[in-house]
Amino acid sequence: MTVWESLENLPRWLILGLIVIAMIIPIMRPLGLPIVTSEETRDFYDVIEGIPAGGVLLFDIGYGSGGYPSLGPGNIALFHQAFSRPIKVVIIATALEGSMMYPLVMKGVQDTLTEYGKVYGTDYCFLGYIAGEQTAMAAVLGDLHAAFTADFYGTPIAQISMLADIRDYNDIDVVAYITTAGGISEGWVYQSFSRYNRVTVGGWLSMMTAAMKPYYTAGSLAGYMDGIKGAADYEYFTGHPGDALLSTDVLSLTQTLVLIYIIIGNIAYFGRRAAEGGS
Amino acid sequence: MVYKREIPLVITFLVGMLAVADYFIPVDLIVDAFTIVKNWALVVVAFALGLGAVNLFRVHGRHISKRTSGQWYFSVWLLLMLVVSVVIGLSSRQFEGSDQYTWWYNSIFMALSSTMYASLCFYMAAGAYRVLRARNLDAVLLLITAFFVILGNTPLLPATWIGFFEIRKWIFDVIVEGAWRGIRIGVGLGSIVLGIRTLIGMETGYLGRR
Repeated sequence: MTVWESLENLPRWLILGLIVIAMIIPIMRPLGLPIVTSEETRDFYDVIEGIPAGGVLLFDIGYGSGGYPSLGPGNIALFHQAFSRPIKVVIIATALEGSMMYPLVMKGVQDTLTEYGKVYGTDYCFLGYIAGEQTAMAAVLGDLHAAFTADFYGTPIAQISMLADIRDYNDIDVVAYITTAGGISEGWVYQSFSRYNRVTVGGWLSMMTAAMKPYYTAGSLAGYMDGIKGAADYEYFTGHPGDALLSTDVLSLTQTLVLIYIIIGNIAYFGRRAAEGGS
Repeated sequence: MVYKREIPLVITFLVGMLAVADYFIPVDLIVDAFTIVKNWALVVVAFALGLGAVNLFRVHGRHISKRTSGQWYFSVWLLLMLVVSVVIGLSSRQFEGSDQYTWWYNSIFMALSSTMYASLCFYMAAGAYRVLRARNLDAVLLLITAFFVILGNTPLLPATWIGFFEIRKWIFDVIVEGAWRGIRIGVGLGSIVLGIRTLIGMETGYLGRR
């Protein structure tokens, strides 16, 4: 086997082993590599910042355990911001596992809840999972009190004081969601923005950006959070560094390594062809 | 049986027209009527979830009873986990809000699920090395695009030279968005045609027949 052939067929253990090392180093010793924040995430942040005092944010947890490592940090950063403002936050889950993500996210914002004296039922509430994706979204925006009869903990919705004045889309200032599902992501654009003309912002996995960005360019979405990179931007804006900012070092090293692999693969490919006489 | 075909078609037509009217003629009477229908739909969807669980027992129960090669023990495991989850959820009467269920979910399902998704990164790294090679013109175009998107997506590199970020942005704004808009508009037009055909009873696939 020639040198070119060896380079063209690096063993799998070497490729994956170096990736593991590139992941472990920044986790054990954060490097603090620089990042460039995106205007889309800035717009998302500004939309939440622009909700007037006493205004209402409807937030949908549209992801489960598989998406939590990528999207959970952004959700926590968003809640840090929302709970530090004098607004009411109504939280729902259109993803089946969303209810299980809620306690994890809330655990990450306990300090902000305590610092700003936020009270469950008065400043925020969690209504739990609602099945049906777009049907559920339309029902929630059409008549919240008919769509949910009780909150996640079984308290009748009529007994939750903050919801007395929040009945339908007219009482909601901004709809925000974070999801791993294309149906949920586009569903909120269709129902919240197109049907009810609410200001809508979303967060999703990076691989969904190609499909969702046209809605942002067209003005249907007022801002978006692009995967773990968007979450890192959001943590930076809110001043609550967390797992996402830590992950950007990992992203920087592993993706640079992938680029090096691609370059090596192509140099080896052309080197072998040249050695074989261009065949 | 005529009613098996005609009644669902009539219901579909009425609900469909109400949905269209709700969007284009949002007067109180129509909006209120459609709000009621939407809430009925939520109940139907909730039943569908229950029906899905019943169907799981049917399909996998069959695998277990027939001892399907390479499958039946997975079916046993699936149904066992389903039953255990339900029992844990019901035992506290707080369902997924209970400490037991949270422990069960976080300790087992979440760990497995996160690991499975995280492991994709290794496949992608190995795949990028082996597949992204300039073998022909199509592969060159894919390689160049992928290379610049990764350059722009890697947080460190745009911080070194903002041009990487701008190139990625141009690829997304011009090439990707242009193509995607074309696809979406096509899908949208197709959806309108399908919707109209469904409303007037020409599309009956949802009835379980052609």
